[in-house]
Amino acid sequence: MDDRLEKALEFSNYALTINNQKRNIRNRVAQLQIVHHLGGVFIANHETIAFVKALIDMKHKNSVVIDSKNNPITVKSLKDLLEKLVDAYTSATTEFDIENEKLKKARNIKKIMDW
Amino acid sequence: MGEILAPKGVCFFAYNNDQLDYVKMALTAGKYAKKNLHLPVCLITDEGSESWLNESQPKKLINEVFDYIVITNDKLKENRRRHFDSPWSEFAAQFNNSNKHKIYLYSPFEQTLLLDIDYIVKTDALLKYFDSNHPVCMFDNALTIRNELPLLPERFLYDAGIKMWWSTVVYFDRSDWSKLFFDTWAHVADNYAFYQYLYNFPSKLFRTDYCVSIAVHILGGMQETQVSLGNFDDTPIVNMSQKDDIIEANDINEWIMIAHDQKEEWKNILVKVGKQDIHVMNKRAFERVIPKLMETLNG
Repeated sequence: MDDRLEKALEFSNYALTINNQKRNIRNRVAQLQIVHHLGGVFIANHETIAFVKALIDMKHKNSVVIDSKNNPITVKSLKDLLEKLVDAYTSATTEFDIENEKLKKARNIKKIMDW
Repeated sequence: MGEILAPKGVCFFAYNNDQLDYVKMALTAGKYAKKNLHLPVCLITDEGSESWLNESQPKKLINEVFDYIVITNDKLKENRRRHFDSPWSEFAAQFNNSNKHKIYLYSPFEQTLLLDIDYIVKTDALLKYFDSNHPVCMFDNALTIRNELPLLPERFLYDAGIKMWWSTVVYFDRSDWSKLFFDTWAHVADNYAFYQYLYNFPSKLFRTDYCVSIAVHILGGMQETQVSLGNFDDTPIVNMSQKDDIIEANDINEWIMIAHDQKEEWKNILVKVGKQDIHVMNKRAFERVIPKLMETLNG
């Protein structure tokens, strides 16, 4: 095989592998961001956290919040929900950061596999 | 219905055949479930398989993993299943799954998580569904370990058919709706040939995935929308295909796998699966790594 093509295919495999690992991490992070609260399902992302925080800043202690399934949930304590959301967000992003750093340093398939 | 002995727990069905040691796989999957979910585990099996379990595995380990063992005596349907171990090797074996809907009777728990013996729980993600409002939860979408959608027959009952729900992981409580769901599943299982004709799914293998998909469709008013059923918040079940392989289990969670291309099967990539629940469909590959996994888990 032409040496140039062999190197291109080797890189192509590396790209396939690393992209797949990145998607694995993103799936895991998405799962960690799911928060169940009072029968509702909330995603611990910037939007939800900022919205709940805005309600609290406007002196709301409780409120009806539409969850990720488009159901109205009567949140008795917005503070409790915010705490849960921030906890989930922090643990998800921390894991994301650790795994992402490992991948950034991996320059070949063997390193990606940590093998 | 049997006696309720605990509020929450995990159940596995395992009936051995001449090719695969299902109880050994249940022991490993049970160990993972116990480690990550911290719930009691129940094995549902028959006399022959239980006797082999006692003969082949240390008593201490069996007692440690299984809090309850339920012995069944159901007449199971003849059901030959074609298995792959990589794209290049295949074998056939009897697959005993025709009484799976009876879990509602057999489970000793108020809230049950029914897992297939090849579903490895490496996280606590499923725990939160014990507190959800859904009486029954199952996966309704899947990804391969290459993060691709499965081929069409694994997503729909046929090309223009209804969506497939996976019976690999079933959470349920003891509500009236749950009872209705399992009764409908039983009805579909009992009239499988009729529903095969009606829903046009492949006829060779008795698949509980088809039974639950049809039960869901009927109970949903023949529509896609679901009121009482949960789908684990749209998260996909991650399937390691029968044509993929496990190369090495670095530790209990980090597994290195070979993932084949579904369209060009000779093309593979390596995949590292870490803390992620996974459906290990290649049972021979699973059996090959069990000694290493159990050594690490017990160590």
